[in-house]
Amino acid sequence: MSSDQRISRRTVLRGVGTALSLPLLDAMIPTPSLAAGAKPPAKPPVRMAFVFFPIGAYMPDWTPEKLGPDYALTPTLTELASIKKETLVLSGLAHDNARAKGDGAGDHARCSAAFLTGAHPRKTSGKDIHLGVSVDQLAAQKIGARTRFPSIELGCDPNRNVGNCDSGYSCAYSSNIAWRSPTTPVPKEVKPRAAFDRLFGSGNKDEIDKGTAKRDLYDQSILDLVSEDARRLQRRLGRTDKRKLEEYFSSVREIERRIAGAESVDIAGIQGTRPPGGIPRDFQEHARLMCDVLTLAFQTDMSRIGTFMLARAGNNRSYPQIGVRSGHHSQSHHRNETNKVADIQKIDRYHLAQFVYLVEKFKSVREGDGTLLDNSMLLYGSGIADGNRHSHHDLPTLLAGRGGGKIDTGRHVRYQRNTPLANLFLNMLDLAGASADSIGDSTGRLKQLTV
Amino acid sequence: MLKKNINERGGQFFQTVVSAVFGVVIALCGCFSDDLRADDVLYVTKIKPLLTKYCYDCHSGDDPEGKLSLEKYSSAAVALKDQATWKKIHAHLKSRKMPPKDETRPTEPEYKQILDWIDASLFNIDCQGDRDPGHVTLRRLNKVEYNNTVRDLVGIDFRPGDDFPNDDVGYGFDNIGDVLTTSPLLMEKYMAAAEKIVQRAIVANPLGPTTRYQAEKFKATSGRRPFLKMQILFGNAEMQQQHDFKEDGEYIIAVRVFGQQAGKDLPRMSIRVDGKELAALDVSATGDQPRVLRIRRKIKRGKRKLGIAFINDFYQEGTKDRKQQDRNLMVEYFEVVGPLNPKSKELPEAHQKIVFASPLTTGETSEQCARRVLRPFAVRAFRRNVHPRELDRLISLVKLAEDQGDSFERGIQLAIKTILVSPRFLFRVERDQFPRDSRRPHKITEFELATRLSYFLWSTMPDDELLRLAREGALRKNLAKQVERMLADSRSDSLVSNFAGQWLEIRKLESVAPDAKQFPEFDDALREAMQKETELFFAAVLRENRSVLDFLNGKYTFLNERLARHYGIQLAKSKETDGNKFRRVSLTGTNRGGVLTQGSILTLTSNPTRTSPVKRGKWILEQVLGTPPPPPPPNVDPLAEDKKAVESASLRQRMEIHRKNAVCASCHEQMDAIGFAFENFDAIGRFRTMDGKFAVEANGQLPSGEKFKNAQEFSAILSKSKHELFVKCLTEKLLTYATGRGIEYYDKCTVDEIFERMKKNDYRFVTLIHEVVKSDPFQKRRARGPAP
Repeated sequence: MSSDQRISRRTVLRGVGTALSLPLLDAMIPTPSLAAGAKPPAKPPVRMAFVFFPIGAYMPDWTPEKLGPDYALTPTLTELASIKKETLVLSGLAHDNARAKGDGAGDHARCSAAFLTGAHPRKTSGKDIHLGVSVDQLAAQKIGARTRFPSIELGCDPNRNVGNCDSGYSCAYSSNIAWRSPTTPVPKEVKPRAAFDRLFGSGNKDEIDKGTAKRDLYDQSILDLVSEDARRLQRRLGRTDKRKLEEYFSSVREIERRIAGAESVDIAGIQGTRPPGGIPRDFQEHARLMCDVLTLAFQTDMSRIGTFMLARAGNNRSYPQIGVRSGHHSQSHHRNETNKVADIQKIDRYHLAQFVYLVEKFKSVREGDGTLLDNSMLLYGSGIADGNRHSHHDLPTLLAGRGGGKIDTGRHVRYQRNTPLANLFLNMLDLAGASADSIGDSTGRLKQLTV
Repeated sequence: MLKKNINERGGQFFQTVVSAVFGVVIALCGCFSDDLRADDVLYVTKIKPLLTKYCYDCHSGDDPEGKLSLEKYSSAAVALKDQATWKKIHAHLKSRKMPPKDETRPTEPEYKQILDWIDASLFNIDCQGDRDPGHVTLRRLNKVEYNNTVRDLVGIDFRPGDDFPNDDVGYGFDNIGDVLTTSPLLMEKYMAAAEKIVQRAIVANPLGPTTRYQAEKFKATSGRRPFLKMQILFGNAEMQQQHDFKEDGEYIIAVRVFGQQAGKDLPRMSIRVDGKELAALDVSATGDQPRVLRIRRKIKRGKRKLGIAFINDFYQEGTKDRKQQDRNLMVEYFEVVGPLNPKSKELPEAHQKIVFASPLTTGETSEQCARRVLRPFAVRAFRRNVHPRELDRLISLVKLAEDQGDSFERGIQLAIKTILVSPRFLFRVERDQFPRDSRRPHKITEFELATRLSYFLWSTMPDDELLRLAREGALRKNLAKQVERMLADSRSDSLVSNFAGQWLEIRKLESVAPDAKQFPEFDDALREAMQKETELFFAAVLRENRSVLDFLNGKYTFLNERLARHYGIQLAKSKETDGNKFRRVSLTGTNRGGVLTQGSILTLTSNPTRTSPVKRGKWILEQVLGTPPPPPPPNVDPLAEDKKAVESASLRQRMEIHRKNAVCASCHEQMDAIGFAFENFDAIGRFRTMDGKFAVEANGQLPSGEKFKNAQEFSAILSKSKHELFVKCLTEKLLTYATGRGIEYYDKCTVDEIFERMKKNDYRFVTLIHEVVKSDPFQKRRARGPAP
């Protein structure tokens, strides 16, 4: 089929109606890519998303005993029943850089900071924030230009706007898991509707059609002008101030790139899925709306890389809807008392259920001969294993999806104790076509993952 | 002769140098040795023995732990040479990380002694000489500041920044330069917000819908052809354009033209609709200055043929004066504006204020108008004078819009959108005068000072008066007066919502969730009332310029009926019928006073199901006394809270048992004693004498010996004997908020000095604000790098 015969995304979306999980037509694959003249790949692209949950889990109820495909689901992992075949349970992985290493308390801040970077955060309340580039951003920097949004960042908790977050660590460490550079976190969108609108516009088709070209020309001119302005300004500033302007520059460039490759998007087809405004009070409803947006983003190839923070590190939310009346963090120091352990286990399952929802959603989207899930890698994990003792080894880690048919899912695999979780990131980057030599404290690639 | 001279001079020179150097050496020794002697005595007699006792076991010998041998620091002088190591030692001692908990550890006073010595000798702060103002990193406007600034700059209050991601917090505040980052997501939102703002503020086609037809686009035919960016009508010819007049009504038809003049008449242009002439106009404008000619007519609705024609062509061959040879009409564009808005449809105020000149109304060129309109706006947006070249760049966007067939006003929209996403608007730019020399502090400019001042006191841009004073270089001279003026302005309410909201952490109230089963009476009305009480109280201390010690035990507060009921306080009968209204209430004779017994603080320092004396104690140590406890060591068994435990003894008794663990005791002793003072208040701030089936015991003793029976007595002790700690803590918080950076060791002099001035002025709040504004950290800056 020649490329001009492909149906544009636009046409398809118009026909999609309100259903989310209608197939992407084969003729539409690959969906239009931004890089002009880039050769469309023959297969659907491989996508990756990382879902973070805070304060680890009650591991005795998490880790299966047996290895291989025949392991029995543990009390917490019973949630996986419907997606067991598509999921890998990975044991033994660790984040050494989430450990104190002489920096004292602050395991929760280090939990989120190290989660996707494998790096050790510099302990500071503000000055000289320093961490590392996260795996999603590394991928975004390598292959993100192929889609309209190099990556998308979602979460349920807004960044804290008051107080100290954890024992002398700036809140930047506990509110973000995606880091563009060692000094710059990527903020997340917490409002479902805003996240949706960012991807698809607010849906007024007339407005979209009318003068898009002219508006792009204007925006382009404006951005040119302010870049020039920033360049003039930068020459006269000191080192740290320059860095602040560098953040500004790269943000402007990113938007310029988007305008340059823009194609008008008509969301008539998916308008019915536009989430309601505001933040739902119910956690599950909120989390699932965000999962829907993430699925849509990948399904329509608006982006291939995403992160989703179910809650902020050191979360102390209570969940009365599942019978947990005390805060998550207070209960996590359970000292193996039955009632607290029971609360933690409830929360573990509740959080996991949201991830399972996401995986099922991916599974329901048909793509080519398979499903969106077949072409994705969805990681579920935390930077802390045991919340009671703040340990950072034997992290609870799940990987769902076959990464383009390469991952041999449906098993429990145990790695040697203290194997860096960052090693898994290298495998994932390989499968996504964004190979890197190392990330954080990685020492090599994991074995026993692929078919 | 010559040689001898040189020798003589050389000898003299040598002598001079020697004595000079010698003199300096003596002088240096003189001043150093005094300091060192004092230091050394202390080091050798007090500090070294402590190090020997607690540290040498591991940190001495040939293979010391962590490759750190303390033996080599034989004297204070030797130690001082190794600042970096001692900074680490300081940190490890301060966090109680060292010595490890299974080794013998110094007592708390011993810890303090070592730390104080390191503080004093190593971070050797000399309050006499030049003070280090510290380095403030380029600050981006945070969400609140952005909203307020747009409100004041454009004149519309619609909070376009509410959709921005929350700004990260550092040092307890969300206006810290180092922590405020910029991302593509935020940039996108800035672009979208800017577009929304200009759409709201400025009407792109203020007279009515406008359609422009570019004349060069008409294909050549007999008598006319496109020429450069125009249509030249060189014979009696007409351009015809179908136009849809949407309604019956008044329309303006405007044509930008000039004439190539020849003969005795001016070129004459006819404007026609459906072949009927509406007007015939003489064109006096010439090529160096084209003009817009316009007519205003009633036209019936419908698709009609609009014609622009040249009707008095003139050509004379063989004239001597070639200029008198050929008369032509040149048209750049023509446009239809309308149906015109009825007079009753007033333009928005913001539009009238910002776009006070427009070529359609003043007859100036659009460049002239644009310059007039954009200069004052840019000055206010950038908070400083604007260079003509910067204006040129902005004006280029107006030209761009007009080239695209859009109106002048659309062009202004674009220029203003540019301003709103420009780094000079989004960042509070301050220049380092000596970017390469971090050891040279300098005063910030008057414009920079105006900006610091307004964002400190108002969380928004400087107003016209501040900018005027800055332009005249008269702000520093009138500083105190300006501070007074600014505090009297309602914009200073931002100190309540932003500073108090973060210092007292009442912003957290929004998200606290007391357990609904246990506290069914806690609802949003109560939540809001609690927040309001603390805000009103803070505002009263500020507005009435009261002593800041009122925060500790002021015997008054502000209540509405709901909160009064919650507190069990009878409101005096009054004419006020609205129960929701807050009234000032005396607390004399009650068990409350100051912010510490307000529902807000008591609730936000509690757990969902019970009070947390630890959290309350920690909160007071951090936010009130400025002496945060070190974080807990990991792997400590927490308090048992199963049903059996809860029923076995009171919370206090259980915590006392728990505290027997020596590691915990050192800090918890103080933290818990403070927290327990407030046990008479439950997790949502109600007074109680029983906790479950146990009687509340709120009595206690501070490590420094003072005893108290309850929260009232505790607060009295705070304001009597701990007031210095409190005032300094508040000063540090305010200084952090004002400068946007964390407090450093070198700020000690500033804080001490402010305390002394406060003391002389009955600790009045406004004095504190004046002093912060006058202080070096606020008035000066230096480049990033080693301290002076």
